[in-house]
Parts: sequence; C-alpha cells; structure tokens
Amino acid sequence: MELPLAIAIALLFAGGAYSILRPNFFRIVVGFGLLSNAVNLLMILCGGFRSQAAAPFVADPHRVDGLMDPIPPDIILTAIVISFAVGALFLTLCYVVYREYGTDDPEALPVREPEDWAGGPARGAGLPRYEE
Amino acid sequence: MNAVVLVILVPFLTAIGTALLHDRPRAESALNAVSCLGLTAFVFWLLAKVDADGPQVSMMGGYAAPYGIAFVADRLSCIMLCLSMAVASVVALYVPSTVTPLQQAHFFHPLFQVLLLGVNWSFITGDLFNLFVSYEVMLIGSYGVMMCGSSRQQVRQTLTYVAINLLGGALFVVGLGLVYSIVGTLNMADIAVVTSRLSGPRAGMLTAASMVLLAVFALKAGAFPLFFWLPDSYPIVPLGVNGFFAGLLTKVGIYSLLRVFVMTFRQPGNEFALGILLVASAFTMVVGVLGALCQWEIRRVLSWHIVSQVGYMVMGIGLAADAGIATAAIAATIFYVVHHIVVKASLFLVGGIAEEISGSGRLKEMGGVALAAPGAAVLFFVAALSLAGMPPFSGFLAKLVLVRTALQGSHFWIVAAAVATSFLTLLSMMKIWSHAFWGGWHDAPPRPLWRRMAAPASVLVAATVVLGLWAQPFLRLASDAAKGVVDPVDYVHAVLGPEARLATRAEVARLEPVTFAAEDRP
Repeated sequence: MELPLAIAIALLFAGGAYSILRPNFFRIVVGFGLLSNAVNLLMILCGGFRSQAAAPFVADPHRVDGLMDPIPPDIILTAIVISFAVGALFLTLCYVVYREYGTDDPEALPVREPEDWAGGPARGAGLPRYEE
Repeated sequence: MNAVVLVILVPFLTAIGTALLHDRPRAESALNAVSCLGLTAFVFWLLAKVDADGPQVSMMGGYAAPYGIAFVADRLSCIMLCLSMAVASVVALYVPSTVTPLQQAHFFHPLFQVLLLGVNWSFITGDLFNLFVSYEVMLIGSYGVMMCGSSRQQVRQTLTYVAINLLGGALFVVGLGLVYSIVGTLNMADIAVVTSRLSGPRAGMLTAASMVLLAVFALKAGAFPLFFWLPDSYPIVPLGVNGFFAGLLTKVGIYSLLRVFVMTFRQPGNEFALGILLVASAFTMVVGVLGALCQWEIRRVLSWHIVSQVGYMVMGIGLAADAGIATAAIAATIFYVVHHIVVKASLFLVGGIAEEISGSGRLKEMGGVALAAPGAAVLFFVAALSLAGMPPFSGFLAKLVLVRTALQGSHFWIVAAAVATSFLTLLSMMKIWSHAFWGGWHDAPPRPLWRRMAAPASVLVAATVVLGLWAQPFLRLASDAAKGVVDPVDYVHAVLGPEARLATRAEVARLEPVTFAAEDRP
C-alpha cells in the first residue's frame, strides 16, 4: 500500500509545483491546492500507514498494537482547515488583483506603482476603488 | 503554573473585545493599549519568576507531558515575550496618531491583536505542531494588518506574501511529518531526549528531514537565499505597526532556529545544518546591506537592513556548530536579538515620524527634518548609530560579543564579512541621515502630530542606550538563557518530569563546555 501512496504523493507534488510556476493566478491557486493535498497524504504515510490497522479506539489499555496512530490524522485535520482558510483568502486576493489590474498574469503586473507611493502607501488616500 | 497561558489568552480576548468596540474607535484603541501594557507587566513578572524558579510549564487539559499540549516558559521564551510585548505596547501607543479611519474600519486593532496572539504563541509553545499552528495564526494576522487600507499596492504585495507563506506552511507540515516518522513524538523536550541518544542511519535521516524545517525557518527569518519576499512586503505595512513587523516577525524565525535546531535536534550530524546557516549568514549580511545601499525610499532601506541584520543572528546560530563555543555563540545571538528588536522597531517608528513630517517616504523628496523636528532627529541618530554598531550603544556590544566568539572559534572569514557589513550599514544610515534629516526645510510647518508619535518611540531608543551602558545584567540573562538552550536539562525536567534523562552535549562530545559568563566576568 505504501508504494501507490508514495507515487500519488510524488505526482501531486510535481503537479502542484508545475502549476505554481505557471504565469496564471488560477493555476497558482490550483497548484497550492494540489500541494496541500500532497502534504496531507505524506502525513498519512509518515504516521506508519498500514492497510490492516484498526481505528484507535482502545478497548483494553494493555493491548494497543495493531491500532492506527491517531496523531497524524489529527495534524492533517488541522492542516486542512488552515489551508482551506488561507486558500480562500489567496483566491480572493487573486480576484482583487485581477480586477484592479485587468490581468491574470503575475508577470504582467507593473514593477512599481509610484503614484500610490508618495507619503507611504498606508498613509496614502486609501484608494476608494476597493469598494464598489 | 497555568498563568503562562495568559500570554495568548489576553491577546485572544482583546482581539474579540476590540472587534466588538469597532464602532467606537477611541475606546477600541484604548482597550488595545491597556491590554498590551497590562500583558507587558505580566511577562516581565514572568521573566523574573522564571529566572528565579526555572521553567514554568502549563499542560493543556491536564494530559501528561509527551502526549498533551505543553506551553513552556523558559528564559529564552520569556526574553522574547518581554520584547514582543514591549514593542507591541510602544506600537499600541504610537498607532492612535497614525491609523486612518479607513484602516480602523478594516479592523486594524483586532488584526493586530491576532498577530500578537500568533507571535506570543510561537514563543510559548513546547511542541512542534503547535509551532506550526502559531505560525499560521501569526501569518493570518499579518495578512490582515498588511492589507489594512487596501491600496492596490498593498493587495498586490500581500498576494506575494501569502503565496510565499502558503509554500512555507506546506513545507512545514512536510518537515513535521518526516520528523515525526523518525522520532515518533512532537513534544520538543521529548524530541531532545530522543535525539540526544540517536545515532547511526536514523540520526542521518533526521538530519536530512530537518533540512525541510531549516528551509521553512530560514524563509521566515529572511535568511539568504530565502529573503527576496521581505524587502518588497515590509514597506507596504501600515505606519506604526511596521515597527512590530520589522522587530518581531523575522525574529520568530530566528527563535525557531534556536529552539528547534540548537535545543531540540541534538543528533550527531546536526552540525551540518548549523554549518549551512553559517555560510548563508555571510551572504545574508552582505547582500542585505548592498540592497539597502541602492534603495531610495526610507522604508525600503530599513527593510533591506532587516535582511542584513538577520545575517548576524543566523551567524551566531551557525557558530554553535562548534561545540567549544556553542554556549557563548548562542548567548551572543540572544543578546543580538534583544538589541536588534529594540533598535529595528525604533528605526521604523522614527522613520515613520520623518515621513509624517515631510509628507513623503522618498529620500529625494525629503529633507530638513532635523530643522523641523530636532527631537526626532536625535532619536534617529542614536538608533542608526546603534544599528551600525557604534559605541556606546547596544549595537556595539552585541557585535563585539558576536565577533569575539567567532574569533575564539577561529572563523576569521565570517568576522571579515560582519565587520565589512557594519561599515556599509553606517554608510547607508548616513544616506538616510543626509537626505532626510539634513538639508533645508522647504515649506509649511510640520504636522504637530509628530510629538505624540515620538514619545513612544523614544522609549525604545532609550532602551538601546541602557542596553549599551548597563549591559551586564542583560548579558548575564542572555548567557543563562543560552545555557538553557544548549543543554536544556531544566527544560526537559520541567516538561517531562525529573526521571527524564537528557544526554548533554558535554557528555556526548566528552568536552568541557566553555561558558561565556565565566570568562566575561572580571
């Protein structure tokens, strides 16, 4: 069972890395999604995954062998929640940048924006474009 | 002692409280400041208690040590907490003069408290997984603060910052998984006990797995070659809170390197990781300062200096690979962190005053601040000289201690890089000084607000003078904290109970440790 899982992890990592390097916001978002799933699968493998292991409900405290380690799934659960929240924020940011600049190519964005910069951007007018 | 939890509980409740007071800006910022000041008093008390009684541990839910979630306050944690809360208090008193109504409407204060929650959490946690969670909490707070005001530039730079940190978070989980599969535990004290006896192929595997975590922490700290996101992101942070970003956020990475790579991973072969850091530190220092030299905006110059200064701290951690000078090197690093947080935060705050007075952040448009506001100029002058390492300020002493340790270990090339960087730092500080502070004052009287901004900033500038002139108690504390990091016997006993057996470095290497304090006292 470990080999197929390892191959799946490798494919997900490769796909994620490839997508993140594409010059397109949407592909970058998808790439991070693939990457976080690769990480979650890796975590399962690291916890000593075996197909015959039982769920960790301990009936007899003196016999715990043959049970699945509960810590990696626990970590995965937290990691999923966090990557979901940050992924949603990232997608929103991509959309806002796309709307502001009219391009979904990160390379096409201007290098500097001097007009926003005078007096420090945070002290600047707080451009009203954001709310429509 | 369960009171340790207060350092994360207070920011958490304050974040909720400030969000509820959202319609009343004055009450909101008052609550923000009062909460920060109260917690500052608490963490200084905690430092005194930990210094006297040893590490304080709080186990969540009452589960026993390697299984439950541990919050541990040892000397290093408490030093970092004191710095974090002191800078947060200064920032909380500074921002009422700078935060715009739009930023306030974008939940500036609650987000700042979330940021503080994450930073304090990362300093107090005793387990690797919680370190990951605290990183994420801190980052979510920092994304929010960074975007407050929502100019185009801010949203776009935050996008890059979020992408970099998403990658860092994914790698962090990879590192956690690999380390867990080798040592079978995530509690730092437990890992330290296990790895101090590790040998053979498992030790080598752990060193290989730890490289992933090394990359994550180096990314967070802004060390070469993973610093590229920093000089673009920090200049867009709203005025005032950028002092907190500059002072604390990269130092969370430094703290993690200290905690994880010096204290927790003790297997033979870990020197390899520290050796990488030593080489990276030289590049970090030199590249950072060269970047600073060619910038023409005050915030960008200062942001590049963060990179350059991170090099010195990483250098101290790298020097710890040499067992003979490990304790002295870590003590020097801790003292450098103290100095750096104070000085960097004050430079950003005073730089903000200069921007406020001249109405621009570009050096070529500034000028005459020394005429318009002599007090602010004095503050900047002291902080800048301290950053460059001039006596009698804290920067001189921090660099002296670090360089002397490197010379003890015969690392001459790194000393050459450190000293050259110091000169170049002075050069770029002179550039800010001559363009922004000297010259004629051109037009209207300065906005009167700057005095209210200068008062909190002057506290930090005073701290750098005190650290330089009355350094012995701080050096003693840094030295004791370093001993607790290099050989965390008390830490392990406090977390795992007195029967836990940690093989100290001296036992492992059959070497007598050279202590910093024993030599340094007259």
